[in-house]
Amino acid sequence: MPSEQELQISPIVQESVMHNSRTLYNLQSLTASLFGVSAGILGLESYSGFLFYLVFSLLTAVLVYVLRVAPTSLAGGKPPLDTSRYFRSPFEFWTGGLMNGLAGYILTWTLFYGLVRA
Amino acid sequence: MTLLSKAITALGGLLLGHACYSAREHTTLLSLRAATAATLTSSPTAAGSLPLDIIIETIVSTFIILVGLVLGTRPLRPIEWRVWAGKIEREGEEGFTDSSGAVDKDFVGNPFSLLEARPNFVDIRKQRRDFSEWVRKGDAQRAQ
Repeated sequence: MPSEQELQISPIVQESVMHNSRTLYNLQSLTASLFGVSAGILGLESYSGFLFYLVFSLLTAVLVYVLRVAPTSLAGGKPPLDTSRYFRSPFEFWTGGLMNGLAGYILTWTLFYGLVRA
Repeated sequence: MTLLSKAITALGGLLLGHACYSAREHTTLLSLRAATAATLTSSPTAAGSLPLDIIIETIVSTFIILVGLVLGTRPLRPIEWRVWAGKIEREGEEGFTDSSGAVDKDFVGNPFSLLEARPNFVDIRKQRRDFSEWVRKGDAQRAQ
């Protein structure tokens, strides 16, 4: 977290922060349901299902970084894997999807597991 | 861009639907076979795993849909004030469009427009020149 002095020197645009986190949140909840569908089709159970979710949500973060963040962030002189141009904390970007989409993931996972295996 | 992302997502959805249908058929067939086998020998139903091609199709189609969805997200905006204002100065409205090309509703315009429109900095001679030009043009048109 930046200190108050740093915030005074380089202020943050609150609307952009909200816009970015809303965009990321929408994507994460949508993709979490999608991962649930494929986990249900694969018939994953217990730990392997959660591992599947972990791997694919990290993959989502990497894809967002590569396709959306990296082209302008690297041109702006930021080091690789640095998301501070668009997000305040790196944890929000890399691991925020794990909590945001978990409920939707379990919902569609169980639904499709039941549909396919019934 | 948006057409590309929709096409990729639709392709992935088609593949995922096919994988889902295949998996459903496979398990149905397997349980049917197990049921017929159970009438002959009283063995427990075999918990069958999916064939490798369905697994690969599911994972690949999930990845394809994922790429399509990520391509379809709205462009992010810089959060630092100086970067954001510089982007507005350089690109104007074009930098703040959504994926279908319309300008975002919450685009506020140039944050420095208040400073640039200060009355002390108005170029009054240029405005007077423009006004006299306009009057002269109007006179010339009326004379014709």
